[in-house]
Amino acid sequence: MRRSVLDQRWAGYVAAALSVGALTLLLKTVGAHVNAATVSVALLLNVLFVATRWGSLPALAASILAMLCLNFFFLPPFGTFTIAAADNWIALLAFLITAVTAGQLSASAKRRAEEAEAGRREIERLYAELRDAFGRASHAEALRQSEKLKSALLDAVTHDLRTPLTSIKASITTLLDEVRRRVDSEGPVALDAESRVEMMEVIDEESDRLGRFINGLIELARIEAGELQLRRRWGAVDEIISTALSRAEPITRNHRVELDVEKELPGVRVDERAVSEVVYTLIDNATKYSPGDSTIRITARRSGDDLIEMGVEDDGPGIPIDLRARVFDKFFRATRDGDVRSRQPTGTGMGLAIAKGIVEAHEGKIWIESGRNGKGTRVLFTLPIGDDEVIEEPRYSAATVEMQ
Amino acid sequence: MTNPTRILVVDDEPQLTRVLRTGLKSRGYDVRAAADGLAGFETFNDWHPDLVITDLAMPNVDGLELCRRLRAISQVPIIVLSAKGEEKTKIEALDLGADDYVTKPFGIDELLARVRASLRRANVAAMNEASDTTLDSGDFHVDLETREITVRGKSIHLTPKEFDLLVYFIKHSGKVLTHRTLLAAVWGGNYVEQNEYLRVFVGNLRKKIESDAASPRYILTEPWIGYRFDPGER
Repeated sequence: MRRSVLDQRWAGYVAAALSVGALTLLLKTVGAHVNAATVSVALLLNVLFVATRWGSLPALAASILAMLCLNFFFLPPFGTFTIAAADNWIALLAFLITAVTAGQLSASAKRRAEEAEAGRREIERLYAELRDAFGRASHAEALRQSEKLKSALLDAVTHDLRTPLTSIKASITTLLDEVRRRVDSEGPVALDAESRVEMMEVIDEESDRLGRFINGLIELARIEAGELQLRRRWGAVDEIISTALSRAEPITRNHRVELDVEKELPGVRVDERAVSEVVYTLIDNATKYSPGDSTIRITARRSGDDLIEMGVEDDGPGIPIDLRARVFDKFFRATRDGDVRSRQPTGTGMGLAIAKGIVEAHEGKIWIESGRNGKGTRVLFTLPIGDDEVIEEPRYSAATVEMQ
Repeated sequence: MTNPTRILVVDDEPQLTRVLRTGLKSRGYDVRAAADGLAGFETFNDWHPDLVITDLAMPNVDGLELCRRLRAISQVPIIVLSAKGEEKTKIEALDLGADDYVTKPFGIDELLARVRASLRRANVAAMNEASDTTLDSGDFHVDLETREITVRGKSIHLTPKEFDLLVYFIKHSGKVLTHRTLLAAVWGGNYVEQNEYLRVFVGNLRKKIESDAASPRYILTEPWIGYRFDPGER
């Protein structure tokens, strides 16, 4: 803050001298016979003014000056510093004491007010600092949380990569070991043809599992970046379901599949490949989490004026209510992370997260309910019945735009 | 033909149990598999295997709990399958009495070598059980009554604590021993955090028994975990 000229200490003394001088002159010109009491009060006010504006020392100077002026100009005999009447001595002394005291008091009141103001400003400054510190702390906390999340995801990913890798490595070294022993004719070779094929099957299946996992990661990353590109066309719900079912044929052999599709469903404007992927994922989960020979029901019906509701239901152990939202989180598995007793799932932990991404990109919703009679799991999702609006171009996400 | 050695594999990953079953069978072992700790414990009770290989993270009863339950009833050698990032659990398993660990992913050779070492140790332990007064293992001969120890036929002089530590090592040859286990066994439960005690005594022991204390061949360091004693071949 820049201090003005008037704030300088010397300005106080100058102001004291000038104001007392000016006031004296004014009073003198107004009339030679102004009452000394009036003059005293006016001068006193002047002292107070100097005190509140410039503090105690200029006020003291003003007091003394005012006393001299009062004596010289307004107490008889005029024009001298001598005083004739004794009571005027008393008046002058009283004036001086009053002026000095009032000046000092008001100056100190001013000082206190200033100190209070400075204190208030200091508190404000501290508060702002504290608020900044809190801001920084909560930012650090958010970062820490996000780091924690990242490391949990990393754990899940490394587990899902390492598990198939472990089987592959163990299989391949078993085969290698046998070949080496055969070459070195070291000892009995006890890997029969069947076992060799089994080891190679494991390698084959586990390589596929790694591939699926990596594809899932890519798809998920795409959904999260908002870069899922839907190719929307008019399609029929029953065709979407039958595409998914024929793809799921090898995995549903041990289950009974029941279809419950409402007749004369309106067409939907969706990305058929993506939606059939959702249905396939739900069927795949149903086969994994329900006993063989149980029934999997696939349903489709109209819901309200503008929605189609599709669902896949199984007779498995079901998912506890508190885990139903979390199963859509990536890498979350109710059996592993939620301690639901069941056989080990062989999924990637990404299927439902991807399904959710696809459904939401179609402005639909996906959720979980209990199956019939409160048993099993029913996963339902909605798709809006397509309007005539053309959405043929790929959707550009904010991220894509920023990168351009 | 003598009965083949029985190995129980406990892992919740069906593909891995498939591979281990085949790999171990090809080496003449009799193998059974269980999908979790609970099933593993039941199979152990029915079948009495000579060795248990177990994963750590499993549903229901996990690998740690399985180690605890097995150690309560048996001295069967246990090898745990652990992953990078599970170090804490691995050390806990070793503290609970697991004999050794293999880090995933592993080659079958590595696992087979650990299996042989653990079985050998179990046999030596069983043989030594027969004699209360002497201990024979590799290059080491111990007379527990006179507290005399010879290494490669040469008599060595040890302080009482060094003697106790070495005897504990010899009795658990081949097994991975955590700092905690060693401190509790030789110094008692109040000293389990005093790793520096152990470092000093292991250093002194190495000077007395190793031909080159800088590159030890008997007392081997398992970084971050503890030590493993290899008695050498006679």
